[in-house]
Amino acid sequence: MTAKISLRNVSKQFTVRPAGSAGTTTLTAIDSLSLDVRDGEFLTLVGPSGSGKTTLLDLLAGLSTPTSGEVLVDGRPVTGPGKDRAVVFQQYALFPWRTASANVSIGLEGKGPDGRKLSRRERAAKASEYLKLVGLAGFEDRFPHELSGGMKQRVAIARSLAYEPDVLLMDEPFAALDAQTREQLQEELLRIWRTTGKTIVFITHGIDEAVYLGQRVAVLSARPGRLKAIVDVDIPDRDGGEDIRSTPAFVEQRHKVWTLLHDEVRLAQDAGHRKILPDGTAPDEPVLGEPAATTRERSAA
Amino acid sequence: MSATLTKPVRTAVTDTAVTTTTATGPADSRSAVGCAPAGLSAAASRAGSWLWKATGVLAFLALWELGPLYLAAPSTRVFLPPLHEVLLAWGRLFESGSIQGHLAASLGRSVAGFGIALVAGVSLGLLIAWYGRLNSVLNPLLELFRNTAALALLPVFTLLLGIGEESKVTIVAYAAFFPVLLNTIAGVKTVDPLLIRAAKSLGLNSFRLFQKVILPSAVPTIFTGIRMAGTASILVLIAAEMVGAKAGLGYLIVNAQSSFLIPDMYAGILTVSLLGLAVNFLLVALERHFSRWRTAVGA
Ligand SMILES: Nc1ncnc2c1ncn2[C@@H]1O[C@H](COP(=O)(O)OP(=O)(O)OP(=O)(O)O)[C@@H](O)[C@H]1O
Ligand SMILES: [Mg+2]
Repeated sequence: MTAKISLRNVSKQFTVRPAGSAGTTTLTAIDSLSLDVRDGEFLTLVGPSGSGKTTLLDLLAGLSTPTSGEVLVDGRPVTGPGKDRAVVFQQYALFPWRTASANVSIGLEGKGPDGRKLSRRERAAKASEYLKLVGLAGFEDRFPHELSGGMKQRVAIARSLAYEPDVLLMDEPFAALDAQTREQLQEELLRIWRTTGKTIVFITHGIDEAVYLGQRVAVLSARPGRLKAIVDVDIPDRDGGEDIRSTPAFVEQRHKVWTLLHDEVRLAQDAGHRKILPDGTAPDEPVLGEPAATTRERSAA
Repeated sequence: MSATLTKPVRTAVTDTAVTTTTATGPADSRSAVGCAPAGLSAAASRAGSWLWKATGVLAFLALWELGPLYLAAPSTRVFLPPLHEVLLAWGRLFESGSIQGHLAASLGRSVAGFGIALVAGVSLGLLIAWYGRLNSVLNPLLELFRNTAALALLPVFTLLLGIGEESKVTIVAYAAFFPVLLNTIAGVKTVDPLLIRAAKSLGLNSFRLFQKVILPSAVPTIFTGIRMAGTASILVLIAAEMVGAKAGLGYLIVNAQSSFLIPDMYAGILTVSLLGLAVNFLLVALERHFSRWRTAVGA
């Protein structure tokens, strides 16, 4: 078992300005988190709101750097964004002035891994290929405002796949979609994962989604985010035609994750994190992690 | 600071909305709906809607023609000639080639000044927006200059540059510069941070990020500034030509007035209005072309 991604004692802190006071305090979003993701694994990540999931994804993507600890991909420390990793955002983040095809091919406009630049026609062909993969053949010339939410997210997925990264980082990609579209896209993502063998880290709020998609489900604790548990999803006959969501194994795993998560959500609410201000700070933010320790003890008791 | 920057943009946006609705009004959507079988009635309704839209202008022209003849006292009529006299005067000026000469003089100056403002405003705006430091240093100064009415500086430019072409081109450039500059800064500053994150995650370096994400997403805002600058430059130019010039539409108007060639004066004014309309039409079309991706579907 080789680790594709490896987080070693990663912490991330932010300097925030609490409402109504002049000074700044430190907010610990992630606290000494260690986690390995296998090559070709589909890992889902759940945790209460504000537990640092997006922060973690940013670290993996190289969009920010950890305050302490190490983020390794293929054994090498992450120093910035790279073509070996791609991110899919919840709000699609398509470039509105580019057509679907041009959105998909934007990652191909620089030099490729072999140092060669693709011609315009080669890029368009590649974009068509990936749009076809996500079920959008024939939509090459549409602008994002001419697509539905589900179609936009398909384009975003095609864009992230087009430059052939090893790792796909997805931050609640289906959260804004209706139930049917979501189910359809989950299906297709699984198909893409099976055919391409990518390593996928998938953040979600949906416990069903986490258990349905993931080989393992990582549960984060309420802020500061720590790894609370990893649940191995062991559902026999996954690839069968049946609706696995109603199998006893699925229900059992789902309940397990639910219980783990539920404790954390309650904890987060007890700590007052429910009242998070628009600037992302909580008025009763534990100062320098000291009251947070109390919370943790309470949970242990 | 950001409040002062967004202000011109906001007015500009409402402005666009207004012009857009008037330009692509019911006529366009109806003609799109009415296909071959209903072609005739569509054409009829289209003509009808054009007629309806022109009513205001036609009524005004009728008043201009008939008012001086039947309503005004003879002494006023001298200063307010009916439309046909003005049109005749315009025809005479056109035949003698003098209106073309004045128009060319005005156009030359505004194109030169406007061009300078465009290049300087966009490049400086990009620079200022990209280097945040520069912005905080320059912003108070820019506010000061922006709020100094361009025409108030005309005497200064005249003293320094004489009454020739330089001072007029300079004042046009000055007036057109600020809308372009401020809208460029605002356009760059208001790029969706999510798009920047996405672009970074796609591995774009700073230069590519600027070229492929920041610039395109700022273009519509920049064009709004350019359109505002177009209007401003004509306004200021005419005023400057009225004060001291040997040619140009502003000169034509003032000179006709002082020589008591009242119909000629109105012919000049009419030309200025038409020029303004044409410039605005052109810039709105350009702006629309570059903001295509912004228009929502079905709008
Ligand atoms: N740039 C930042 N500056 C300050 N604080 C931040 C920043 N980014 C995130 N935070 C804080 O870090 C904590 C974790 O944020 P994060 O966005 O990672 O949560 P999340 O688990 O993704 O939540 P959600 O499920 O609601 O998306 C939050 O309390 C947030 O306010
Ligand atoms: Mg998040």
